[in-house]
Amino acid sequence: MEQVSVISLWIALLLFGAAFALFIFHYLSRREQMNLRGVAVALAGWVALGVALVLRAAVAERLPIVGAYESLALITWFVVAVYLVLELFTQVKKLGLYVMPAAILFLGLAWSSYSAPAGLMPELQSDIVVLHVIVMFTAVGALYLAGCAALLYLVEERLLKRHRTGSVLGRLPSLATLDRLVYRATLIGVPFLTMGMVAGGIRAIAFGVEDWLVDPMVLLSLGAWALYLALLYGHLRGGWGGRRAAWLAVAGLAVMLVIRFAAVPYWSGFHTYGG
Amino acid sequence: MLVVVVGISHATAPLELRERLALDGPVALGVARDLQASGGACEAVALSTCNRTELYMYARDSLAAGQAALELLAGRAGCSPAALAPSTYSRSGEAAIAHLFRVVTSLDSMVLGEYQIVAQIREAYDSAREGGCTSVVFNRLFRHALEVGKRVRTETAIGEKPVSVSSAAVDLAEQVFGRLDDTTALIIGAGETGELTATHLRARGVRDILVTNRTFAAARDMGRRVGGHAVPFEELEGHLAAADIVISSTSAPHFVVTRERVQRAARRRRGRPLFFIDIAVPRDLDPAIADLDGTFLYDIDDLEHVVARNRAEREKEAVKAEAIVTEELTKVDAWLRTLEVVPTIATLREAVEQIRESELRRLGGRLADLDDDQRAQVELLTSSIVNKILHLPTVTMKEVAGRDECYLYVDAVRTLFGLNGNGSGTRDGHGEAVDGDAEPTEAGRAEPEGAGEPGAAAR
Repeated sequence: MEQVSVISLWIALLLFGAAFALFIFHYLSRREQMNLRGVAVALAGWVALGVALVLRAAVAERLPIVGAYESLALITWFVVAVYLVLELFTQVKKLGLYVMPAAILFLGLAWSSYSAPAGLMPELQSDIVVLHVIVMFTAVGALYLAGCAALLYLVEERLLKRHRTGSVLGRLPSLATLDRLVYRATLIGVPFLTMGMVAGGIRAIAFGVEDWLVDPMVLLSLGAWALYLALLYGHLRGGWGGRRAAWLAVAGLAVMLVIRFAAVPYWSGFHTYGG
Repeated sequence: MLVVVVGISHATAPLELRERLALDGPVALGVARDLQASGGACEAVALSTCNRTELYMYARDSLAAGQAALELLAGRAGCSPAALAPSTYSRSGEAAIAHLFRVVTSLDSMVLGEYQIVAQIREAYDSAREGGCTSVVFNRLFRHALEVGKRVRTETAIGEKPVSVSSAAVDLAEQVFGRLDDTTALIIGAGETGELTATHLRARGVRDILVTNRTFAAARDMGRRVGGHAVPFEELEGHLAAADIVISSTSAPHFVVTRERVQRAARRRRGRPLFFIDIAVPRDLDPAIADLDGTFLYDIDDLEHVVARNRAEREKEAVKAEAIVTEELTKVDAWLRTLEVVPTIATLREAVEQIRESELRRLGGRLADLDDDQRAQVELLTSSIVNKILHLPTVTMKEVAGRDECYLYVDAVRTLFGLNGNGSGTRDGHGEAVDGDAEPTEAGRAEPEGAGEPGAAAR
């Protein structure tokens, strides 16, 4: 069954690649059909990835949240899920071209750090850890997306300012769309991030983990949290252009990526299960 | 029998003549009827837009029909056919169908890729059909043409990017604001391009249009025309704070809006982006505005640049469109050729003879007991039944062959006996023009024929 799971993940990777190719074709030809086909293929890939994760969970008899292989695959699944919801149910369109490479990269990283399914170490066998992890993954999916949209916003704004319209018109979502996406994704991500951090803190206190509050990962998380709160505050208060919000979201994304790829595997004293 | 078209267009005739030959709805139908009654046309459709007037006919004698159409047009224009002839064009047969396809795909339009023409052809055809001026050939031909128009717009980007300064400006605004229904536009100066842009903005759903001008009366007039309202010129800064899109087209020799004014207004804008379009020469808007956060400034050169690039892209797409027209043309041609009497009779006899032979072969085993003589009798009997059945249809078709409506009989026979199975006929032909995953093109992006020049836009 583990083999089937791995094959399914591989199929998902291939499908994301195919969807990416369709999105590139859509960008070049600007034929609406290509985008629709790309979305359909990405949806198929997302289902395949879901199957892979469910099978993996069945083999390990726990949630697929342990180790880099599982956690990266799960992050990919969340990111693509958020993208599909936006593409299918909102006016935010044409993001596939930018989401797919990220999905492929993450899934490729997961693939390269494959580990055989193992049981849960005793430290992690607690409800609050499960809650912490699920909530954090949701937050990470939403906040990564906010960061990507913000990057796109900054690039498009610059192109429009410099009158480089050829690569913008009809190809990128409008600035207003991206601005809304940054705000909404952050609005979804921040409550989950908060919940996840609270759950983590409770777990640390309950189990008497030493010096958890000055752990690099915890500090970085607090920093990211502050950045996102500032973003939401600025948006609610008004008077901040989309640009400043976009820079905050990009900064937040940078911190989140440092947490994921440096702090969790290398720096953190106790938080290495996900790495 | 041939398809014939006689017409004038922006390419052959000046506006003044096109105006005299413009046919509005009921008149166009009357013209089509006249062509049927006197011009020897079996079917007729009259198409009239601001850029062209064309008479399509399906006629036995294409020369006579063409001449009748020319005379009819000359009568309406109030001149002699000889005087009108140089301003007209006339095509027949395949060239006429090719012309219709090129018209419907906008390849023959003043503005390549404009979408209005499809609706105009549909209207002309519907009116002729309801008036009883079309039948087998034109019903098929015009529906096919409309499908070709749709196909070209689905499969190519011929009509996608705007090719007029005003709609390019609106497209850019949409790139910043997304949907425009939550934005306010400020028009400074009561110039023509400004008004045209305001009209485009209104069509794309902009919420409010403010018009301001040194002479208040001019602003008020224009505000009325574009569905906005005039505001005093002296309070420009306040308007800058309220507007999202600013279009300036005054004839002032100096900058009307300076960087400092925008900066002061920006404080009240709470970070909302501000999009400036300067269509005045000399420029109205200080180029330094572009350095401010959240502002975008485009002048007439930038817009012309966008338009030139879009036009080049449309021309590239036109090559693809021509290929589609050629491809579709062969389909229609093959079908039209089947509407001839003599080959149809031959095909009919052949088909029935085949049935007879195959039935005899099927019974081969049971006929084995018969001797040669008896077998010959059976051959004779079956042949004679077939011949008797086919006799009347054959004679009737030969009789009507000399008449205008003969192709109707041919079409009926071909349909009833299923003679169109060679891949070019009616039965499989009906579906082939319709692309399975054809989807509606973005009609919202389309511009009316002649949108590039304000004068011609009025029909």
